[in-house]
Amino acid sequence: MKRWDLIVIGTGLAGLTAARTAAEAGARVLVVGRGIGSLALFGNSIDVLGEVPPGVNLDAGVSDWIGTHPGHPYARTGWEGIAEALVAFQELFPSPYRFVAAGLTNSLVPTGTGTLRPTYLLPITMRAGAGLVAEETLVVGFRGFKDFQGDTVSLHLKCRGVNISLPRYGLEGLTALALARLMDEEPFRKSLGEAIRGQKAGEKRIGLPAILGLCDPAAVLEDLEGVIGARVFEIPMLPPSIPGLRIFNRFRERLIAKGATFLMGNPVTGVTVKGGRCEGIRVCNPPLETEYRAEQYILATGRFLGGGLWAEMDRIVEPVFHLPVSQPAGRGDWFRERFFQPEAHPIHAAGIATDRSLRPSGEGGAPLLTNVRVAGSILANHQSIEEHSREGIAIATGYRAAQEALKA
Amino acid sequence: MDLQTDVLIIGGGATGAGIARDLALRGIPSILVERGDFTSGASGRNQGLLHSGGRYAVNDPEAARECISENRILRRIAPHCIEDTGGLFVSLPEDGAEYRATFIRACEVAGIETIPLSPRETLSLEPRLTPDTIGAVQVPDGAIDPFTLVVENARDAESRGARFFLHTEATGLLREGSRVTGATLRDRLTGQEFTIAAPWVVNATGAWANQILALAGLKIGIALSKGSMLITNTRLTERVINRCRPPASGDIIVPNDTVSILGTTSSRSDDLEQYEVTPDEVSLLVDELSRLIPSLRGERFTRAYAGVRPLVQVGETDDDRGISRGFALIDHEGRDGVKGLVTITGGKLMTYRLMAERTTDFICARMGLRVPCLTQAQRLPGAGLGHALQDRLLWLRRQTPASRGEILCDCELVPREAVDAILREGKVRELQDILHRTRLAKGTCQGGFCVYRLLGLLNEMRKAEGRGDSNRILRAFLEERWKGIRPVLWGISLKEEELIESIYKGLFNLNAAGNDGSAGGGE
Repeated sequence: MKRWDLIVIGTGLAGLTAARTAAEAGARVLVVGRGIGSLALFGNSIDVLGEVPPGVNLDAGVSDWIGTHPGHPYARTGWEGIAEALVAFQELFPSPYRFVAAGLTNSLVPTGTGTLRPTYLLPITMRAGAGLVAEETLVVGFRGFKDFQGDTVSLHLKCRGVNISLPRYGLEGLTALALARLMDEEPFRKSLGEAIRGQKAGEKRIGLPAILGLCDPAAVLEDLEGVIGARVFEIPMLPPSIPGLRIFNRFRERLIAKGATFLMGNPVTGVTVKGGRCEGIRVCNPPLETEYRAEQYILATGRFLGGGLWAEMDRIVEPVFHLPVSQPAGRGDWFRERFFQPEAHPIHAAGIATDRSLRPSGEGGAPLLTNVRVAGSILANHQSIEEHSREGIAIATGYRAAQEALKA
Repeated sequence: MDLQTDVLIIGGGATGAGIARDLALRGIPSILVERGDFTSGASGRNQGLLHSGGRYAVNDPEAARECISENRILRRIAPHCIEDTGGLFVSLPEDGAEYRATFIRACEVAGIETIPLSPRETLSLEPRLTPDTIGAVQVPDGAIDPFTLVVENARDAESRGARFFLHTEATGLLREGSRVTGATLRDRLTGQEFTIAAPWVVNATGAWANQILALAGLKIGIALSKGSMLITNTRLTERVINRCRPPASGDIIVPNDTVSILGTTSSRSDDLEQYEVTPDEVSLLVDELSRLIPSLRGERFTRAYAGVRPLVQVGETDDDRGISRGFALIDHEGRDGVKGLVTITGGKLMTYRLMAERTTDFICARMGLRVPCLTQAQRLPGAGLGHALQDRLLWLRRQTPASRGEILCDCELVPREAVDAILREGKVRELQDILHRTRLAKGTCQGGFCVYRLLGLLNEMRKAEGRGDSNRILRAFLEERWKGIRPVLWGISLKEEELIESIYKGLFNLNAAGNDGSAGGGE
């Protein structure tokens, strides 16, 4: 039986980052995942810590913040760990489709409801949306594309908005994926650009739903800007996320080039643990169940949505290794009375506690499994939705977990 | 704006709409005012059960007879509001064959037809029932759509001259000495105030009866009983399932369109707006009903809700199920010396028509009119149409992707055209009105996706007005939705919750100060 250096369970941003870090260091890596993961849902730009206001440097902001949140996953990496991991992430996306920041601070970018949200690294297709001026901006929606309501966006941004019919395809009920594939076709995007130019009334920036192609978004951007004669930016919208799929595809491409193996679509059905070490995992590919073995393992299965955590009626469990889950006392304490309130719902801080090396730990902090590390949103003591730290936690802890596994 | 009519009805539930229709059929003009939308109160917060009367047969034979009689009438006049599912009273070993025999005899006495079924027959009809069953009794239960029923009553009344004011609350009663002569009203959306003068005012506000009576310095004895229910993501059974035992908590499952409604609990409440379903109530319903359907724990639940039953107090009792579910028609002249005011309350959805008939009979008698009631025979205007679910499925089968147009709600397949048609009618005034009139937001995602799309449609309409309040509406919707889903958040529902929270709080940042309200994130 083939033996791997590292098995990564989970194909979200944390698992992919861990797998890439190890594969690039020469490790033989197996990636096991049930599906594409949350990148396809929410992956747009790279949030690190939205609570640091724009204008404040992130290094100072995050370091201060770690001081008051000693249990947070960032406390395991420190700002240095985050910064190093982000640089590695940026290296994966060389010009022309790059991820860039506005200096060392957060930017505010528009969303599909016309609100602004803080984020750190932006793909170049979103850059012109940062710091937009309403009078100079036109938001364009497409008739029949219901997941991006251009009128809602323009009303809230107080800029002008138009809904246009797509040039060639008068299809009702278009999806983001279908539109992104159409945009990959040069004649389509050029005729779309002409239609938009016809609607322009002197605006210098044009906001579009985030569907500027799957294969070569930089070329789509360049063509549109050339034809329209204005800067163009993507606006994140309801899932699925095209920019997130680009990130997934890029990671997969690199991982395969580095000799990693992907095992997608089937769940991990069991693990073999002996003497505090994981000896193997079983993956069910009906009707077969196959065992895979490695020296080291990284668990990056996400939260409830990804299947990393599962809520029974009375308690939260971790279904792969049956690790103890740090959690509120009972179901009545999981959520607060109101949906919107300043503090996150207590359940969002639930997750797996670890030692400094990201190994799952029990009471007292001693590691429960010496060759398993935990990365990404499944970790305890963060509130990534409210903090706007989803991608930052995934990248920083995925990177760190791989480094720790390689060291071991 | 000041108006005049013969009868002013306060309350747009089944009873109020039923009275408006009954009056209209007898040629008497009326105006109905309702604080919210139709069925905002108990009429919209029940289990949607067309009772055969079986549930009351053993303990309350009079209620059972009322039910079976109204059951037959409703099947005749409102077939499009009813799905004739039939119902089973299922016995488990601990319920005993003896109670089953008592039940069958009691149904016979009340005139409810029964068919006893063996365990094998029972399971072949409803395979998800527990194999422990010792048999069932089939009765003519069914599922009823209260919203359509009320709207149909109102539509018919309107076509015969009645008028309706929704989102309008009574702020005071007009008085001339000991006589009530109308009411002062306020439009809750515009704030506009006006009066309606009428020689008769009917207080059909159900559990809220004392709020209206307080305007006249009056009070009646009403006990409030909160009942909680759960909705599953799929339809668990084809028939209404009752437990064949004395009525208790967690013993009914009613199929409703594509889902099932599980009920109910019963607890005293003194807060009319207290609709919160507690984790204990949820656990009680799941535990009890798991006895009937063992796979229930693994089901996906989409929502919990509660209604408040008004029970007219006849004496002191600890158990609300012991109080009669009967209704009370109160003439405040005889009781309190206040003329021109009657209160109709208590009762249940099943007897709304009978309650309307009695109220209208009373008013006619006082007016000196001798006009017979027609509502037991006169069919509702849409009675020739099919049942909504069958209609929708047939419609879908006839469509191609191009002909059905844009689908706003992917869970329940609500086409944009259906919403456009409602908007064209010009009667809806807020988001919840649209949600009431379609299946939008009733499916698996509970509006998580389609409400964003719906607001886009509203904004497209309102663009000329330059109104940018849609994020306030969106936040209010998500807050309202939260009340329903919070009690059922575990398992798959919790996954969905993480998705929705990640979208609206994470991606759209609606939790942030400045992103909570109107245009530009200002205000």
